Amino acid sequence: MDAYAGSVGMLQTWIFETLVQPSLYATGLIGLDEIAFEATEWFILGALQVLLLFIVLRPLEAWRPAERWSDRQGVGVDIFYTLLHRLGLVPLLFFALLTPIADSIEGWTRLHGFMPWNVEGWWPALVEHPFTTFVIYLVVLDLAEYLRHRLQHRFELWWALHALHHSQQRMSFWTDDRNHLLDDLLQAVWLATLALLIGVSPSQFVGIVMLTRSLESLSHANVDLSFGRIGERLLVSPRFHRLHHAIGTGHEGVHHGCNFAILFPVWDILFGTARWQGPIEPTGVRDQGKGRDYGASFLAQQRLGLSRVAAVISGRSV
Amino acid sequence: MILRTFFQALLLVFVAGLDLIGSVAGAETLIVLNSGDATLSIIDRETRKSVGLVNTGKEPHHLMATPDDRSLIIASSASNELLFVDPRSGAVQRRIRDIADPYQIGYSPDGKWFVANAFRLNHVDIYSAADFTLAKRIPLGKLPSHLAFDRSSRFVFVTLQDSRKLAAIDLATQAVAWELEVGDTPAGVWMTPDDRHLLVGVMGAGDVAVVDWRTRQIVKRIVTDRGAHNFQALGDGRHVFVSNRSANTVSLIDQQTLAVVKTFKTPSGPDCMEVSADRKELWLTARWARKVAVFDIDSGKLKFTIPVGRSPHGLFFLSHAPRV
Repeated sequence: MDAYAGSVGMLQTWIFETLVQPSLYATGLIGLDEIAFEATEWFILGALQVLLLFIVLRPLEAWRPAERWSDRQGVGVDIFYTLLHRLGLVPLLFFALLTPIADSIEGWTRLHGFMPWNVEGWWPALVEHPFTTFVIYLVVLDLAEYLRHRLQHRFELWWALHALHHSQQRMSFWTDDRNHLLDDLLQAVWLATLALLIGVSPSQFVGIVMLTRSLESLSHANVDLSFGRIGERLLVSPRFHRLHHAIGTGHEGVHHGCNFAILFPVWDILFGTARWQGPIEPTGVRDQGKGRDYGASFLAQQRLGLSRVAAVISGRSV
Repeated sequence: MILRTFFQALLLVFVAGLDLIGSVAGAETLIVLNSGDATLSIIDRETRKSVGLVNTGKEPHHLMATPDDRSLIIASSASNELLFVDPRSGAVQRRIRDIADPYQIGYSPDGKWFVANAFRLNHVDIYSAADFTLAKRIPLGKLPSHLAFDRSSRFVFVTLQDSRKLAAIDLATQAVAWELEVGDTPAGVWMTPDDRHLLVGVMGAGDVAVVDWRTRQIVKRIVTDRGAHNFQALGDGRHVFVSNRSANTVSLIDQQTLAVVKTFKTPSGPDCMEVSADRKELWLTARWARKVAVFDIDSGKLKFTIPVGRSPHGLFFLSHAPRV
């Protein structure tokens, strides 16, 4: 911890004092200084995370690619999505949008005598074991994410947004954050609601997000890698998740796809949606073969996503 | 194969994570609340060494001793609980749950009421101090932050950080008596020893608003520094410190002349303070520096710092100067 305080902590203090705090003071937002100080730490951690992922995963992709590409065209926009998310811009936007609403709802419920359930209340001794509570929250939120992912594929309206994520035909470790902003907002509302109901603290929530996102980057990597017979059933691997993105299997069949798990494949095992075998197949959405355009740039992708949503709402086929 | 083994090992490390926490007894103990880590640092004041770490509920921000000094109460806002610890050792004594979002807390001087500001949820709770049963939940403006009482325990005064106001709650009727606009981002609030004025740290203005609470008027603004935030008495019945969190300074205010008599530079983000019983040392938490800083009050010079956890906020030791 001393090393952490001496490195990340010092950098955080320097950035906060030099850039962030003076800006807050000048704009009359000094009341946000505690939140901004925390956000500065997550900006640094996000930047370090991206750097670390690049250092570890990029050579892996070069060494053992699942697919060999003639060029990396189309990967650049995924890098843009990653930086938007991991450096904190999108989370900050959603935090600003959702926190006042969530706090108002929670305040109203408290005024009417409702206290949210949380694991420490159910089992007070867990307060002494924050790691254990962290793991419990991680598992609960991962189950929630599995269910949300099922719904993304199940409902045509939601799929109209989520298809953007699946439209990447050169899937790499940058692809995880390639999502429509409305889809991101729905995810934020989903998780914030759950966090509100079960009482996950903001600091634990951010920790869970950091861990989850790192493993999601790995699972999207263009790497021919599985975790072995047992490991594949414990943690989502690049091979397991690539089957979810495969054109023939990712959005097909009675379950509208397979391998929906984010971290723990146990949910796919329990709900009968796991698929273990299969050759490495091209990634993407089937209708891309029929000429459907999902856009090349960030703005085009966002605009076309809204068009698909409008088409579903107006009764036209996506 | 090597890759597979590597990732399986990573998985094992993830699954087998441990939290290594303990609590330790100490002689003359400093207790520091690390709000970013949800822990208490237990520090031996003599050796300045950490002798223990105690887990608290989530998002702990403020602490205070019970009137008999037998317990130190930690208010954990995200865990909705009050944690009682031994102020000498940090050992956990008991927990009171279902206290909604407690931020700053305080006992009325007559010992009848225990008041908790729900900073995030925009209400103030009044509990019976005897058994912590909720007497009244009062919705207020945005971000009820710090609080102070008048000597007769008739009012509790609460700053509303995002509403730019100071609110007075009548403890007899348990209703809001009045509100007064005091400036941009009011934080700490302090009653002068003569029970005449309230001092309000106005962070955005960098000054201390002096409020005559009986006439409900601001009678003076004492310019201190950017981010004027929280107060602590020197203990001589005349002077009070105010931490200027954005400027990294502390100002000493004469409460008779209502003027700054001394200012000194601190490490980053000075917040809560404690004064030694002999009034020679000022101890404060430096939020952005993860430190406790100790100053010689006469010279205003930094004597030493003690590394603690993330975002240290409240701090306490038993042999402190009087709170006036």
